[in-house]
Amino acid sequence: MKKRTQKGNFHQILAPILFLLPNLLIFGLFIIIPAFQGLRLSFMKWGVFTPKQFVGLDNFKNLLSDEVFWITFKNTIVYSISTVICLLISSLVLALLLSRNKIKGEKAFRATFYIPALISLIAVGIAWRFILGDEMGIINYVLREMNFNPVSWLTNGTMAMLSVIIVTVWAQSGYYMIMFIAGLQAIPIELYEAAKIDGASAFASFKRITIPMLKSTILVVLVLATIQSFKAYELIVTMTKGGPGYATKFVVQQVYQVAFIEDRFGYASSMSMVLMIVIAIFTLIQFKATGKEESYE
Amino acid sequence: MKKLMLIMVSILLCSTVVFASGATEGEEDKDVTLSVMWFNDANESDVFLDTIDEYLKANENVKVDMQVVSFSEYEQKLKLMISGGNPPDIARVTNNHLSSLGSSLEPINNYVDDISAVEDMFMPGSIAFAKDGDNLLAYPTEATANGMLVNLTAWENAGIDVKKLSKTWTWEQWEEAVKEVIKANDGMKYGLALDFSPHRYSTILFEFGGRQMNLDQSEVEFTNEGTINSINWFKRLHDEGLIPSSVWLGSENPAELFQAGLVACHIGGSWNINTYNTNVKDFEWCAVNTPKEEIRSSVPGGKFIASFKDSENKEEAMKLMAAFSSKESNEKYCADTFNLSARVDTDVPYISNKEDFTVFSEDLKVTPAFTALEWKASSLNKVYSYIREQIVQVLMGNISAEEATMNIDKEAAKF
Repeated sequence: MKKRTQKGNFHQILAPILFLLPNLLIFGLFIIIPAFQGLRLSFMKWGVFTPKQFVGLDNFKNLLSDEVFWITFKNTIVYSISTVICLLISSLVLALLLSRNKIKGEKAFRATFYIPALISLIAVGIAWRFILGDEMGIINYVLREMNFNPVSWLTNGTMAMLSVIIVTVWAQSGYYMIMFIAGLQAIPIELYEAAKIDGASAFASFKRITIPMLKSTILVVLVLATIQSFKAYELIVTMTKGGPGYATKFVVQQVYQVAFIEDRFGYASSMSMVLMIVIAIFTLIQFKATGKEESYE
Repeated sequence: MKKLMLIMVSILLCSTVVFASGATEGEEDKDVTLSVMWFNDANESDVFLDTIDEYLKANENVKVDMQVVSFSEYEQKLKLMISGGNPPDIARVTNNHLSSLGSSLEPINNYVDDISAVEDMFMPGSIAFAKDGDNLLAYPTEATANGMLVNLTAWENAGIDVKKLSKTWTWEQWEEAVKEVIKANDGMKYGLALDFSPHRYSTILFEFGGRQMNLDQSEVEFTNEGTINSINWFKRLHDEGLIPSSVWLGSENPAELFQAGLVACHIGGSWNINTYNTNVKDFEWCAVNTPKEEIRSSVPGGKFIASFKDSENKEEAMKLMAAFSSKESNEKYCADTFNLSARVDTDVPYISNKEDFTVFSEDLKVTPAFTALEWKASSLNKVYSYIREQIVQVLMGNISAEEATMNIDKEAAKF
């Protein structure tokens, strides 16, 4: 009897811990410890070749009056909200179109929309720079050939921001589409049949069945897309270098510049901490807004 | 007895010498793999390996493990390796790198008998970049200069002898002439493309009598009449459509615009000679003297090779660097990479474009010394990106040139 209890304890407590241990070790080593190091650095003045010096909250105080940081912060928020909303809608629409096995060649379409998600964002950025370039870009070349005025895709601030949002959505919609397809295919078909018998319209079925049943998938997409958008770097640097001016410069690029060009690692860490807090707040809001469990059985 | 003692002591001394020398020889023969970090403007890594081939054959115990990194990631990677205590044995560095990495570099002084003899082999401008006090931190490999390259065919189509005109021209004369060139050539849209780089921009800045630092090079001081005039001139040319906005506002590559025949002139680095030599097939091009404003100026720069204080094989690294910097090696390297030599005693056997290199050298000769000293200052290099951003803000009409220069001074004061 005593022996059985001990065995039960091993299976219920120790075994799960042992299974989790490798992941916890990697997570701790590469995420948790660097995060705490970053926090510690944010209270320091430190360059690569200069000794660390504790400066308390000075870095955070300086951030308050750093005009460029707040421009990049505002740009990040605009980009993040726009891309997350567009990604959510576009990937859901694609999933709705391609999840019911009703369109001919549906699998080929799925693969086509998913392929951009497999391409490195650096390659995506370079390719789109060639497409959208003012003088050497393909689109403007075609416009000129057709006697239309070329468009300042990347040299006008508003157009440049719009361009990076569109390219981001193009590059990532396929990835989230797959998540939505999985979510949609998990919804029991009987629910739709019952709704049809009750005379519900397609929109009513979508509103009353699809959306509620997809709530957890929507939450995952929202959280992942938000985190991804706040961390956007490669695509932007290769496509616009943050320009024109500060028009598409985001916090991550500013962190890189301050750390590796200006050699102010402490100050850059304080920027990263602010970014981390903002991402955490956004994620929490999303959890609060969509996370309440409901039963549809 | 005394004789016997003398013989014994002599034998003992001789054996000691023999064994000691044997030990040294053993150490020399120890296999060494030198880690080399490199970036390419064109084909430099291949030519470097080709150039040191004979040295490696003569020193079979020495091997080279080369890592080529793209220039955009190079400085960051190098800094992380240095701060992690694991720098390469040899690295290719620019004059900008020297200002930020100087404290971690191993002085060459400790490995040569006569450092002043070594310094005398190279151009004073290159040595100025490589020196920190009395210490020589790196061997100069090639000198670089900013200058103007023109689409010769387009200028000829306009009936202008640009080679003759450029011997004495001012920016005003250039503007007048380049408008004729645009008019005379279908498809040519712009007069000038300037690299999206504060270093290349400083060519204009210095020519307009501007300065980036104060007189003793201790502080960044952009706010002066010449610098403000240069920014206003640069904006006017953008507004009038003589300079394509897609370079400074849209990050398009000016070399590609030049190669596509869209611009009449390109102000860039001397390494473009190599690029254009390979890529431009549709028209003739050549280097010309940069037009004059207050002064005529280029901006000197250079590439170097250096070893680090924490490098594992400093001794062998220094030997290889010295061999690579010899007259013969440098001539071969510069000829095959189409670069200006940093040595004073070379006669580089370029297979073509010798005239173009001569033009760049002429511009370098009339360039004031302070231009090199300013770019040596680490405080200026730290605001490199910020300078670019502020000039773009002016081009976009968001701020005035005066505001931009004041912002740059204020930002630099934070360091």
